[in-house]
Amino acid sequence: MSAPPEPNGSRAAVGPVLPGAADGEAEPALSGATVAAGPSAETSPPPEAAGALVASDHLSKWYGQVIGLNDVSVVVPHGITGLLGPNGAGKSTFMKLMTGQLKPSKGTVQVLGEPVWNNPAVFARLGFCPEQDAFYDRMTGREWVTALVRLNGYSEGQAAEAARRALETVDLLDAADRKIGGYSKGMRQRVKLAQALAHDPELLVLDEPLGGMDPIARRKTIRLVREWARQGRSVIVSSHILHEIESMTQNILLINNGRILAEGNVHQIRELIDEHPHTVQILAENPRALARQFLAFDDLLSLKFEEDAVVAQTARPDAFYRRLTELAASGEAGEVREVTSPDDNLQAVFQYLVK
Amino acid sequence: MPIHDQSYRHYGGQREPLGRAWLVIVGDGVRTIMRKRAFIGLLLFAWLPFVVRAVQVYLAANYPQMSMLALKADTYREDLEKQGFFVFFITIWVGAGLIANDRRANALQIYLSKPLARAEYIAGKLGILMVFQIMVTWVPSMLLLLLQTLFAGSFDFVSKNLFIIPAITIFSFVQVLAASFTMLALSSLSKSSRFVAILYAGIVFFTQALYGIVYGVTRDSSFSWISFLANLEEVGRLVFRAKMHYDTPWAVSLLAILAIVGVSIVVLERRVRGVEVVK
Repeated sequence: MSAPPEPNGSRAAVGPVLPGAADGEAEPALSGATVAAGPSAETSPPPEAAGALVASDHLSKWYGQVIGLNDVSVVVPHGITGLLGPNGAGKSTFMKLMTGQLKPSKGTVQVLGEPVWNNPAVFARLGFCPEQDAFYDRMTGREWVTALVRLNGYSEGQAAEAARRALETVDLLDAADRKIGGYSKGMRQRVKLAQALAHDPELLVLDEPLGGMDPIARRKTIRLVREWARQGRSVIVSSHILHEIESMTQNILLINNGRILAEGNVHQIRELIDEHPHTVQILAENPRALARQFLAFDDLLSLKFEEDAVVAQTARPDAFYRRLTELAASGEAGEVREVTSPDDNLQAVFQYLVK
Repeated sequence: MPIHDQSYRHYGGQREPLGRAWLVIVGDGVRTIMRKRAFIGLLLFAWLPFVVRAVQVYLAANYPQMSMLALKADTYREDLEKQGFFVFFITIWVGAGLIANDRRANALQIYLSKPLARAEYIAGKLGILMVFQIMVTWVPSMLLLLLQTLFAGSFDFVSKNLFIIPAITIFSFVQVLAASFTMLALSSLSKSSRFVAILYAGIVFFTQALYGIVYGVTRDSSFSWISFLANLEEVGRLVFRAKMHYDTPWAVSLLAILAIVGVSIVVLERRVRGVEVVK
């Protein structure tokens, strides 16, 4: 087996690269996460790491010859932090490293003040919701969540109660005794979320939690995340959609090509992103009726149909999503089953940012 | 008016100490399997030889004219060897999907995000399989020995064959461990439990057939180490102090079994981990 390649580029390149940063007009001290710039011979986390939620130091992960995460030194504070980047940017890798599922190829990562790799004691304080489906279709939601809670050391009775509370929190109690195989995409997302929060963790790590949810479920989940953090707990949530992240937090980490590209307040990049058309795919009971409603939106740029879905391009994603939620709630254009967004638009912004 | 603390309060109930999560996996796994009636039928069928032996022990102990039916120490070895038939089916039924199904369902990443070390996960899965295998090997043998002692009304048989209890225990566990580790390693290699079952059956039968061919050509039984089952038989004969069946030195058979277990552990170490994210 060949040795993994050294990470390319210098560490000094890591840091805020928003327009203006190069000519001394950089934003004032960016809030939230702190990206360490410049090489360091030390492997211990930087001083800011004390009391931090997550602190990584020169963290890298290779998959053979492919770099998943490249020399990331970052300190994430408590509260909600959004991890924003296109598909393949390294978000999932970073999340799997911080949840102790992957061993770093190089560097260290500490979560809640402790090294996370091979440290099940920390896992008890974490809740992880992966992007992919990860359950047995033949089990009911209640059985699945209960079984997983028991791995945290709960007795059967306590686990059943914790599972019930979690399913209630994600608004899935009515369907708790149905087989997961019969769940819609949004329900599957919510049952994954339930297992992540059922054991009352201090930190929730959510990998693309809103993917495939219908507009109502999205809104509820966003509210849930914000409420969770309001109670003093922390959340790290990834997405390739700025609108989603922005609805949960102002504090973001931009990641691309395995490197932290920028960090700080979401408003600093939102104007850039708004310059690019945003594509939304909506799976609906009656796509044509939905499309007719969209035609009244003044920010609509284009429309096309794909089987049971309508694909729209909008210049103002915020307004579009808000009206879509209202439409779904009113039921005027039939049931809206699933909303997804490809990341082409975000990729374009990233390309612009790294120029 | 007192203002109550609204900040985060961690779960205050009792939790099991770390390191016991594997017991949850064993418990859940055993319960899940026991819900299948057909499997309970197989278990009952696997106990039929025990029932026959129990009658034999009773007759031998109570009717002098039937004393030729009395069990010898080697009978226990023969019985354990025959139970290998049921061990094979139970291993396939219970073991094929143990890890393969988790991999197919992507559940490994969820399991391993809980306070559960990889070694604990493997121990839990091994535990499920071993519980059922022990139920058709060690348990009926020890129960039969107990019955024989009770019907005879004395410890004569046990005291004359002091090795019998350790021999039953060692041979049962060698059978169980070899089958469990092999099956679990195979189960970690695929997402299809059917494919795993075929692979396991293939390994057992192919190695036996290969040895048969080699023996047919060379007329030399010192190649029996090729066969999975022959190695188990040799180790069984060793622990029961019986005459060896093959020309293969027992140490070679034992090494072959240890090698199988060793390779299985390496495979499990590499395959049981959080899903790698490559897009």
